[in-house]
Amino acid sequence: MPSPFLTPGTTAQPNDITLLHLRRDQALPTILRDYDEDNMGYKEGKVANTRFGSFPHSTMINRPWGSQIAASKVDTGSRGRRGNPAKRKADDLDESGATTTGAEEDTPSAKKPVAAASGFLHMMYPTPEAWTLSLPHRTQVVYAPDYSYILHRLRVRPGDTIIEAGAGSGSFTHAAVRAVFNGYPEEPQTKKQRLGKVCSFEFHEQRAGRVREEISEHGLDGLVQVTHRDVYQDAFNVGDPKTGPSPKANAIFLDLPAPWLALKHLVRKPESGESPLDPSTTTHICTFSPCLEQVERTIRTMRKLSWLNISMVEVQCRRIDVRRERIGLDATGIRGATVFPTTVEEAADKLWVDEQRAKVSRTAAKVKHGAEESNGEDDTFVLPESLREKPAAPSYSLGRLVHRSESDIKTHTSYLVFAMLPREWSEEDEQKCRQRYPSNKVEDPEESGKSKKQIKRELRAKFEQAEKAKKATEQQAPEGNVEAS
Amino acid sequence: MHSYIRPSQYCVVQLPSDQLKIIQPVPNTIVQLGKYGSFAANQILGRPFYLTFEILDTPEPDGYGLRIVSATELHAETLIEEAEADGEGDDGEPGEEMPTRTNKGINDDNSAQRLTMEEIEELKKESGAAGRDIVAKIMESHSTIDQKTAFSLAKYTLRKRKKYIKRFTIIPLDVSTLANYMLAEKDAGRTLELRDEHIGLLGCFGNVHSAGSSNVEAIPDVTPNGRYIVVDDTGGLIVAAMAERMGILYPHDEDEEEDLPSSGDANQEQQVPAKPSRRQHIQGMSASGNTITVISAQAQANLSLLKYFGYDTNSPDETHPLHTHLKSLSWLQLVDPSRDPILSAEPPTLPDEELAEMKSNKRQAYYFKRNRYLKNKAVSDEARAGGFNGLIVGTLFEPSSVLKHAVPLLAGSSQVSIYSPNIEPLVELMDLYSVARRTAYINRKRDLESRAPVGGEADLSSLYEEFTLNPSLILSPSLHHTRVRPWQVLPGRTHPMMTGRGGAEGYLFHAIRVIPTEESVQAAGNFRKKRKLETTSTPASDKDVVMLS
Repeated sequence: MPSPFLTPGTTAQPNDITLLHLRRDQALPTILRDYDEDNMGYKEGKVANTRFGSFPHSTMINRPWGSQIAASKVDTGSRGRRGNPAKRKADDLDESGATTTGAEEDTPSAKKPVAAASGFLHMMYPTPEAWTLSLPHRTQVVYAPDYSYILHRLRVRPGDTIIEAGAGSGSFTHAAVRAVFNGYPEEPQTKKQRLGKVCSFEFHEQRAGRVREEISEHGLDGLVQVTHRDVYQDAFNVGDPKTGPSPKANAIFLDLPAPWLALKHLVRKPESGESPLDPSTTTHICTFSPCLEQVERTIRTMRKLSWLNISMVEVQCRRIDVRRERIGLDATGIRGATVFPTTVEEAADKLWVDEQRAKVSRTAAKVKHGAEESNGEDDTFVLPESLREKPAAPSYSLGRLVHRSESDIKTHTSYLVFAMLPREWSEEDEQKCRQRYPSNKVEDPEESGKSKKQIKRELRAKFEQAEKAKKATEQQAPEGNVEAS
Repeated sequence: MHSYIRPSQYCVVQLPSDQLKIIQPVPNTIVQLGKYGSFAANQILGRPFYLTFEILDTPEPDGYGLRIVSATELHAETLIEEAEADGEGDDGEPGEEMPTRTNKGINDDNSAQRLTMEEIEELKKESGAAGRDIVAKIMESHSTIDQKTAFSLAKYTLRKRKKYIKRFTIIPLDVSTLANYMLAEKDAGRTLELRDEHIGLLGCFGNVHSAGSSNVEAIPDVTPNGRYIVVDDTGGLIVAAMAERMGILYPHDEDEEEDLPSSGDANQEQQVPAKPSRRQHIQGMSASGNTITVISAQAQANLSLLKYFGYDTNSPDETHPLHTHLKSLSWLQLVDPSRDPILSAEPPTLPDEELAEMKSNKRQAYYFKRNRYLKNKAVSDEARAGGFNGLIVGTLFEPSSVLKHAVPLLAGSSQVSIYSPNIEPLVELMDLYSVARRTAYINRKRDLESRAPVGGEADLSSLYEEFTLNPSLILSPSLHHTRVRPWQVLPGRTHPMMTGRGGAEGYLFHAIRVIPTEESVQAAGNFRKKRKLETTSTPASDKDVVMLS
C-alpha cells in the first residue's frame, strides 16, 4: 500500500491517513474509511466530528487532497439511544436497552450526507511536519527545525539506512523515513539498489507498540522497523540481539538519556558480534541531549572511540508573527488598535483643538446662563489638516506592518552532538590502493600528449633517479646524526 | 558515491587553518596546498574520506609521502587532559590542590618567546624539521610556558599548530560542504548566504523527497509524482540541495557497492564513463516523475554550481540523473509562450525525402532546431498543466510575483517553502496572505458574483486588480527564523563559540496550497467564545467569514 506520507497521489483514498486542518498548529489525524469502522452508529458511515462541524468520510474520499470540505448535517443525538454499550457510560447502560429499536439497528447502506448551513475544513495529506504538530505526545518531541538540520548534517539521503534509538513519539521517525525513502520494498526492483530504511529502537514496550501501530496505519511497513529493545544492553542488530543481521547503517540518531552507554556498540569491531555500521561508508552520528553534562560525557566517549570532527551545536528557531499595528487618533473602536497620536504635530493639533472645543463650550455655557452676551465672534474653528477625516482605505491595509517573535518560544530544545567515523582502512587496503595508484607516478599536464612508451621510459628513469637519491640520503643520514650530536 | 575518493571527483581539502579548498584529484597530478605544501593526487585516490593526512618530509621508499594521522593522535591532547582530570578526581586530596594558575606573570609583549622570527624561518627551511618539531621547539623556547593557564596554553598550541603543521583532511563535496565553502571562502551573497540550517528546513518545509522508483506508476491511483518547482537564484545551490534530497544529485550511485578491483591501471580510471553512442541518445528533461522544474529569469538558468556534482549545464553528461530529471524553462516560456522566440516559431516538419537530399550540416541544424523546439514545448506544456507537488524558492524576485504565477500550478495540499536572506520581503508576503485580506477577498468575490447577470460570468477584473495574490489558495502561512549556535566542548572549558558569522539572518516562509470550494461556505465554530455569534442575514461582516488558520 503506498503511504500518503510519501506518495499521496492526487485524491484521498480509503484507508489513507488524512489530516483535517483545524488551526495553524492543530490538525486532526483520521484514517479515511468507507465503512463505519468503530460501529459508532452514524447513518453516514464514519464521521469526523470537530468544532467546525461534522464531516462524514464519504464526503472526503476520492476528493483531491487540499480540498475545502463543507460540513454535513449529521445526527449526533439519536445514535446515543441506539444502544452501543461500548460507547455508553456505565451508568447509562440500563437505559439503553429500553430505547433501542430494531429499525435503527441495521441501516442497510450509508446515508448520503446533507450539507450543513455552515462550517468547513481543509483536508490535507500528511507530511512529517504536520504529523509532528498533531501526533499524540508520549515523550518530548523532536521538532522540524531540529530534525531538518540533523538529517541534513547526517547526510541522510534516499537509499540510506538510519538507526534511530529512542523512537519516542515517532516524530523523527517520520522525517527520517521521508529522507531515506527511494522505493517500497514490495515493488519489483528494476535496478540493483539498496532501499532506504529506518531501524527504530525503543526500550519502552508500550511506546514501541504504539509507534509500530502508527507506522502500519501510515503505510510505512517495511520502510521502518520498530524494535522493542534496550540498546545499552543489547546493541543494534535487527531481530535477535545476538544473531540478528547488522542493519548496516550509514547514519545514527540517538535520543537517549545516556548516549555514551550505547556508543560502545557503534564501532567498527564491537566485542560482541557484528558491527551495526555499514563497512563501506562513513558513519555519521548525532546525539540529542538536553543537558550539558550529558554532552560532555558523550563527547568524551566519542573521543575514546575514535570518532572524528566532533562538534556540538544548538538550534534556535522561532516563529515570527506578522501583523498590522494600528496607532492613531482615528482608530477608535477597532480591535487591537491603540488610540494615540501618530506624530508630535498631531498631538499638538489635538491639544489645540481640545482647547478650542472647550472654549466654545465655555462660551456657549456662559451665553446660555445669560452671563455674557454673544459677542458675535465666530465660535467655529477650522480643523487642522492632521485631524481631518482621511479617505477611506481597506481595513486590511491600514496600520504599520510589524513583525515580532511568537509569544512562546522554545529557547532550548537540546544540544546536538555530531561526529563521524571514517571507514576502516587497513594496511592491506592501503597496499592495494598504492598498487592501483602508484604513489610516485606524476605526469606533467603538458606532457599528456606523449606516447605510452615514452611515459614508461621516463617513469623508469625517474624511478632510478629516486632510488639513487634515496641511497644518497641514506648515506648522508648517519653523517647528519654525527653533526647533531 | 562518498565511500572513497574517486579519480577526478571534486572534493574539499580542509587545511589546519580550517580553510576549505576545492580540488579535483586527477590521477598522476600534484595538488598544491600553498604554504602547507603539496602532495600527489595518486596518494589519496581510492582512500576513504575524512582521513587526516600529514605530509611527510621524507617519503617512503615507494614514493608515498603521506601519513594517515590516527584519531587517537588527533584527540591526543584532550584525551591526556581528560585522563589527568580523572586522575585528580580519584586521588586528589583536598589539602594538596595545585595552585590555580593565572595570567599575573605574563607580559603582553613578545618577550617571552625566545626564538626570533629569523630562527623560526631557519627551522622551517631546515630539511629535517617537520611541522610538529617546529611547534615543539617553539613551545620549548617559550620562557613562561609553565605559567600559562591550561586554557591559554591550549590556545597557544593550537595557534602555532595551525600555522606550522602540514596536515589536511579530505572531505566529500556535498551540498552541506559546498554551502559552507561558499559562505567561508567565496562571496556568500552569491548563494544568498544560505546556511546548513536553512537548507535543511527549506527542504523539509517543501516536503521534498524521492518519489521512489519509477514503478510507482504501476500502483493504481498514484500518478507519477515528486514534481517540484524550484526558483533558484543561488547559482544552483538550492537545486543541488533538493536534488540531493530526491536522490538525483550524485552520478555514481549504482556502483556504490562495488569493491576496489585488486589490480588495474590508473589510466583506466581516468576515462569518464563512456558516453553513450548516438543511437542510445537519452533525451534530456524527459523524466515524468521525481523531477525538478527550474523556472529562471534568464533564457538559460544559471546553475553553475552543479558542475561540482558532475553536471555541467552547457555540456550535460547524459548518464547523470539530472540530465533527465532536471527541467529548465524561463518565466517567459511559462507565462506567455507565444512571445518566446523558441516556442513561438515551430520549425516545420520536413518530409524524409527532403531531408535525405539535404547536406549533412543542414540536416543536423534541422534536427537540432526541431529537437530543441520539441523539448522546450514539452517542458513548457507540462509546467503549464500544473499539478506540481511543491514550490521551493530562493530568489531575488519579489516573492509575491513568483507566487502569483507558481501557486496556481501546485496540486492541492502541496507545500510552499521560500527562503529569503532578509525578512522584509517575507513580512510583506505574510501581509498579502493575512486573515483580514483573505476575508476581504472572499467577501468581495462573493459580492461580485452575486451581482453577475443571471447565467452569465461575473466580472472579476476589479478583484484581481485589488488583490495581486489570491489569498484563498494558501492556508496557514508562517514565517520562521532558525540559527545554529556552535559550542566548544573541552574538559572544563565548555562554552558557546566566542565569534561567529554575521550578515544575513535568513528567514523561511511556509504555507500549504489548498483548493477552495466553488460553492460559498461559511465558517462555523466557537472559536470566538466571548462574543455572541452574530446572526445577521448578510454574512458580509468581517468577523463571520474568518477562515480557519
